Amino acid sequence: MRVLGIETSCDETAAAVVSDGRDVLSNVVHQQLADHQPFAGVVPEVAARAHLDQVGRVVQAALDQSGGGWDGIDAVAATAGPGLIGGVLVGVMTGKALAAARGLPFIAVNHLEAHALTARLTDDVQFPYLLLLVSGGHCQLLEVEGVGRYRRLGTTIDDAVGEAFDKTAKMLGLGYPGGPAVEAAAKGGDAGRFELPRPLKGRDGCDFSFSGLKTRVRMTIEGLPPGPMQDRDIADLCASFQVAVADVLAERTGRAIDMFRAAHPRGRTLVVAGGVAANQAIRTRLQALAADRGLGFAVPAPALCTDNGAMVAWAGVERFRLGLTDGLDFRPRPRWPLDPDAPKAIGAGVKA
Amino acid sequence: MKLLAFDTATTGCSAALFLGGRLAAHQAAAMARGQSEALMPMIAEVLAEGGCSYGDLDALAVTVGPGAFTGLRIGLSAARGLALALAVPCAGVTTLEAVARAVPETARAGGRVLVALDSKRADLYVQMFDGDLAPLTEPAALMADGLAALAAGGPLIVAGDAAARAIEALAGAGIAARAADAPGVPDAIMVGEIALARALPPVGQAPGPIYLRPPDAVRPKDGGRLRP
Repeated sequence: MRVLGIETSCDETAAAVVSDGRDVLSNVVHQQLADHQPFAGVVPEVAARAHLDQVGRVVQAALDQSGGGWDGIDAVAATAGPGLIGGVLVGVMTGKALAAARGLPFIAVNHLEAHALTARLTDDVQFPYLLLLVSGGHCQLLEVEGVGRYRRLGTTIDDAVGEAFDKTAKMLGLGYPGGPAVEAAAKGGDAGRFELPRPLKGRDGCDFSFSGLKTRVRMTIEGLPPGPMQDRDIADLCASFQVAVADVLAERTGRAIDMFRAAHPRGRTLVVAGGVAANQAIRTRLQALAADRGLGFAVPAPALCTDNGAMVAWAGVERFRLGLTDGLDFRPRPRWPLDPDAPKAIGAGVKA
Repeated sequence: MKLLAFDTATTGCSAALFLGGRLAAHQAAAMARGQSEALMPMIAEVLAEGGCSYGDLDALAVTVGPGAFTGLRIGLSAARGLALALAVPCAGVTTLEAVARAVPETARAGGRVLVALDSKRADLYVQMFDGDLAPLTEPAALMADGLAALAAGGPLIVAGDAAARAIEALAGAGIAARAADAPGVPDAIMVGEIALARALPPVGQAPGPIYLRPPDAVRPKDGGRLRP
């Protein structure tokens, strides 16, 4: 069984063909970097226009590169939320039209579920597992009990972790996207030079907060000696910031491991997913945590952590083999929590 | 020739099937939002009513704007997806020419047609056509006080969901114009008729959107960098 997956929820226009035998037959990603760089961040209308321009070419390339074209495609999956709705609509309408024209089932995929299930494509991880989902839009700890079955243990009460990376990069003039830029600049930096806060570290539960860290980065930049910023300052600040983030993620995830173990004694894996999971320093830190706590560790290759079509196609495979398909009247969802019953995090803002 | 036309670019959702150049099935609904849910089921019903399947289609036609950015992308994404999967040509028709075509021939003969569409902003989407619907100007986004320069000279009939605003602005500038007795928003029937009257583009050459406005976005000073 093969599923075509389409991803258009942020700034990557992507499509892929994946089989139920866990083969990624094609995986085409168009990054809209040049479109957003002048704005130092993702502009929703710019993204939506670029998705419309690119999605046809990207889908065709994914079909061509899969080696089978339309032959053997059994269903079409598309990210239907959460995300920037203008882009989501482009992917959903493209997916619906392709499915209708070819007489195939359509599967509306939750973007977060696609990230959450990627470790089953790459590492065949068995349910239940503990998931740390870290991206530009999200920072959550979840128990993954099965397809469509999630229990949220913790979430950010303000900014997403990737957002903190992007804003740090922007303030330092490192450009967009910020995550890879901060990671590169941090190499060789002195992580001990600047004292930055570890918000919520040591508190009960496993929620996150990053806005105070972001503010302190701003104050640190403003407090540097007059004159142009030195490369040394940028490297040290990026290293200090990155280790503060890693500290917080490791400490909060450690608490989540206790909760997960209590609820799922037979669960044995920590999975990290989302764009921030492409950061090598954070991967290494969390891998050490998992080893220390006697858990297996799975994190997809960086290209499958950042937004891609293969994760959507795989989520489509997972849902399709359970008989979960959607009508062509499916309404895309700009907000679509994995655990809609989760209580609101204490102190959380309206967007959290 | 079996042609499917549809429109979601403004405040409606419509689909029309033409078989052998004649209208075989049609549906239309007014809706300010929700086209992403309504469009594909509506197309399926129109095809069923015409006894047609997707695989029977020879060509597609779709509105490309100007209109609501989200709405025109819904129609264009669907049209491009269908064209890709079916390997058929897809014609792009502007909302302005589709609205102009709905003006009865007797009403426009010997005069000119101004189409004015609601942009949901301060300005209007406008285009001038002659009495035979040949375009006299390019599609444009204009403030109402800029209409006089566009519309001066000769009898004028105004169509579109912003016709009342346009007529009022023209009257203020001393230009008499009357409202067309025609729907103010595009319909798939007009979209299909226009496409059928033209040469179809080659397969694989998808129509592009007409936004008439750059994205709302501000370039941060120094790219957001706090210090030199």
